[in-house]
Amino acid sequence: MAKVNPKFSAEIKKYGADDFSACFNCGTCTATCSLSDEKTSFPREMVRYSALGLESEITSSLKPWQCYYCGECSTDCPRKANPGELMMSLRRWLTAKYDWTGLSGILYKSFAALLISMVLVAVGVIAVAFAKDFKLEEIIHFGHYFEMYAIAGVFALILLPNIIRMWYFAVIKPGKKIPFKVYVSSMADLFIHMFTQKRALGCDNNQTRWFAHFILVIGYLTLLFTTVFLDWFSSTSIFVVVLGYVVSAIVFVVTFFFVLSRVKRKTEATKHSRPSDWMFVAWLFLMGITAFAVRLFIDMDILDMNLWLYILHLIILAQWALIIVPFGKWTHFLYRSFAIYFEKLLEGGK
Amino acid sequence: MKERIGVYICHCGGNISDYVDVEELGRMFHKEDGVVVSKDVMFACADSNQKEMVEDIKNFNLDAIVVASCSPKLHLHTFRNVASRGGLNPANYVQVNVREQCSWPHSDNPREATIKAAGLIRAGIKRVSHSQGLDNIELTVKKSALVIGAGVSGMKAAIDLARLGNEVYLVEKDFFVGGHIVQQESLFTTGENSKEIVLKLYKELKSHRNITLFTGATIEKVTGSLGNFHIDIKIRPRYINTKANYDLVVKALNECPVYVEDEFNLGLVKRRAIYKNYPDAMPNIPVADIEVLKSSPETMLKYADILDINQQDELLSFIAGGVLVTTGFDSYMPNSGEYGYKSSPYVLTLPEFNRLTELSGNKLVYKNREIKSVAYIYCVGSRQSKGENRYCSRSCCTSAIFSSLNIKEKYKEIISYHLFRDIRTYGKQETLYEKSSAQGDIYIRFEEKEPPVVEFNGKSNIIKVKDYLSAKMELEIEADMVVLVTGMVSRKESANISEKFKIPIGSDRFFNEIHPKLKPVETVIKGVYIGGCCQGPKNISESVQSSLSAAAKINALLKSGTVSIDPVTAVINEDVCSWCGKCEIVCDYTAIKERDINGKKIAMVNKAICTGCGICAPICPVNAIEIAQYSDLEIESMIDGFIQKIELEVKDESKESKEETEVLKMKEYPQLWKDIIQKIGESKKTIPQLSRELSCKSEIVTYNLMTMNKYGIVTAEGMDEDEAYYYYKVKNR
Repeated sequence: MAKVNPKFSAEIKKYGADDFSACFNCGTCTATCSLSDEKTSFPREMVRYSALGLESEITSSLKPWQCYYCGECSTDCPRKANPGELMMSLRRWLTAKYDWTGLSGILYKSFAALLISMVLVAVGVIAVAFAKDFKLEEIIHFGHYFEMYAIAGVFALILLPNIIRMWYFAVIKPGKKIPFKVYVSSMADLFIHMFTQKRALGCDNNQTRWFAHFILVIGYLTLLFTTVFLDWFSSTSIFVVVLGYVVSAIVFVVTFFFVLSRVKRKTEATKHSRPSDWMFVAWLFLMGITAFAVRLFIDMDILDMNLWLYILHLIILAQWALIIVPFGKWTHFLYRSFAIYFEKLLEGGK
Repeated sequence: MKERIGVYICHCGGNISDYVDVEELGRMFHKEDGVVVSKDVMFACADSNQKEMVEDIKNFNLDAIVVASCSPKLHLHTFRNVASRGGLNPANYVQVNVREQCSWPHSDNPREATIKAAGLIRAGIKRVSHSQGLDNIELTVKKSALVIGAGVSGMKAAIDLARLGNEVYLVEKDFFVGGHIVQQESLFTTGENSKEIVLKLYKELKSHRNITLFTGATIEKVTGSLGNFHIDIKIRPRYINTKANYDLVVKALNECPVYVEDEFNLGLVKRRAIYKNYPDAMPNIPVADIEVLKSSPETMLKYADILDINQQDELLSFIAGGVLVTTGFDSYMPNSGEYGYKSSPYVLTLPEFNRLTELSGNKLVYKNREIKSVAYIYCVGSRQSKGENRYCSRSCCTSAIFSSLNIKEKYKEIISYHLFRDIRTYGKQETLYEKSSAQGDIYIRFEEKEPPVVEFNGKSNIIKVKDYLSAKMELEIEADMVVLVTGMVSRKESANISEKFKIPIGSDRFFNEIHPKLKPVETVIKGVYIGGCCQGPKNISESVQSSLSAAAKINALLKSGTVSIDPVTAVINEDVCSWCGKCEIVCDYTAIKERDINGKKIAMVNKAICTGCGICAPICPVNAIEIAQYSDLEIESMIDGFIQKIELEVKDESKESKEETEVLKMKEYPQLWKDIIQKIGESKKTIPQLSRELSCKSEIVTYNLMTMNKYGIVTAEGMDEDEAYYYYKVKNR
């Protein structure tokens, strides 16, 4: 027996959803959704759960992650209940729910908290630079190690436990017994979807968006690899240097268009940007462009005179690594692919 | 016995003649006894043909006519008028339906269709030969109307009837006017104040000198009939001394220390024994509950100046030409335990809840508990597929949603759950539903077979329901208050009214109209009309609409001072009747009464009341009753005519060669066909072109062109550029 919780709709509205109460359950959204089928039927189901405030049903559901926000449901909704944006809000809410620290929820709901945390990280980076007497060499050295430790730390302390929590909510708590064999055999899907978001190709007219996204993911991951493992900023290998230029350029060029589309607000997906959405694309853009500039200044041998450029890059990097990656929209990258993996598990690996 | 009969058999452009050989029939009935003229005609209803018939009646000195064409529902009056214009009595006309009864249903068997038509026409000829010329019955009517019930429907109708110059008697059972609507604070969809509306109507009512309003009055006895209903009413006393100082009366109204259950507020509070329903209730004369006051002698003594305990029931009688019944409805009362009603302390019906919210201040409190969440359960007492009330009560969905919007406005934090079966906020009311769901009201759909279960856990109501919008998931809702959205049922007293006026009651126990679409406010009792919710559930606008249309009907009836009614009534053969009383018992309309004529007891028919239903005729043991225009002679002769052998050379369709159909000639084309032929000329034209050039509706052009095509007058040739329409050209012969 599920208990109706009328307060839930007020809660989910803090995550961006607004008009979903207007829903009169016609099901047009589900009919129009190109990803919804008999097996996984949404978004109406999620709209219904949200209206009734059935938290445990939503927490155990993987469906919000299977939507890639083409926005057709919102365009076609006869009540203008905006189901697409509700799905987005549920993703934010789920992110907060999975996060054991509870920081995600605070940062999603409170813009002030987000701002303060960003400023604190910036101040911290400047403090480190101060401690290093503003010596470029040392700061770059610190930056490189910071990147490595931050990645390892965030993954071990935040992301891994959160994914385990997601697994617990979606697979274990509903009482599904999954043989170990299935865990192994389904693994391929996890990685395919993590790197390609193949499922998003099922959305109508989504090829361009999917391709841009695909390029960005590859670019971003390569940039990460180049800076962290190939030590781009210190490398002398011409191959590594050029690769770094190319991938950082890909990152800022693609994100530039993403930022632009959010400014233009022409599609359903870009109409309702929240701070977390802006932050994600903007910081990715800034990261790409500052990394590009830093390496350019190194090659032109003028970084010494432009020490603050590197500090700025490091601030952006630190904010990205400590806030956006563990608590922000970056996690969607993981949750989406794990959702497909868990879904596969629940189906028994078929 | 009519011996100069004219018979006209219609082609209906082909609708009949495609399957029934009307030309052959026309020839055949020439030889029939008593028939002087027998013709087949292209369109019997066409003006040119009507003129021809009128001329035939005069030229051939016809004494009766038969038209074999379509259903009498369509053209009975057309041809009765033709008979009148030719100088015949309209009753000497018989219509035979050979389209709906022959050509259309038997298109698969033209030969049999023709034989059946021949039989029916012969029966018609036999019947008309025995027809009597009957004149309509003329009655004088009194130019006054009785309106029963001073709710919003009755008041509006009374005002309009009075404005049109009729004397109006408005009888209200309660001591105050307004009916149900004043029990609701504001009215959907406009949010107007119901009490202001009633006050406005009352003032208007009072401004008409030809309206007499009786409050606290009931109908005691009704005799007479259409045009002259004799009405006896009884007026209950208010026990307030009419000569008393009004200030003292007001003082008593505000200070009387004796309290009784408040019916107006549906028992939610107590009221004083000297009372008005609400401060602005009209007429502005309080009422004293004298029986209750008697138990408190000191109060009686205190208010001795203003009370008049000697007042008695007053009996009055008057004559009304027409009657409008607007007695309204009762709200459905749930059974004890139905959705927790009476068994849980926090379950109310919607009307009760509306009284509660109106009486509440800035906190919604009931039985010492602040109400913060409300669950509305819809369709209580309506749409019972197995119960008595199968109908939808039409207004309750909107009413409940409107209430939830209002209390949300008054008490911002309140949470509303709507447990519904279907939401029927039709028409302009839809916006309310939209507003309510957008404001966050939670809608949960249940099915009748799995209704919600309400339990009280000592703190609040726990409602368990299977939500059909969430794959029948079992949900649990906690709500401080459960509101049962109750529908309408017929008034308890409607059986009484029905008995007095003989208004039939339907299986839903509301009053029955004659026809829901074509005679929606008329009853089978001539002169008695129904308006508003006594006829079935309606919202306020619909109630007023129906009562105003009934008012217009009554005005039309009373306007000329006389009324002409159909002569189809029971006729008593006075020589044969020896009064056994059986006919009086079976008559539903009390149209038959015993009369003494020169010492002989016989039955008498009140023609103003009799509807010609015919139930009395077969019951009469001595066969003394016949129905005019349906006499035994007429009916028996029809049967004789129908069973007579048809000696008809009907062409067998299968043997008929194709050319024969093609060269089928008609005596004369209708004017439109001639126009079409002329417009097409040597060229070819499409239907829209013809429709434009002839300024004639395209449906009519299409229909005629199809018939012309069938007769081989035109033929289709090629399509226009858009391939949307065929070109037609005149066929060369």
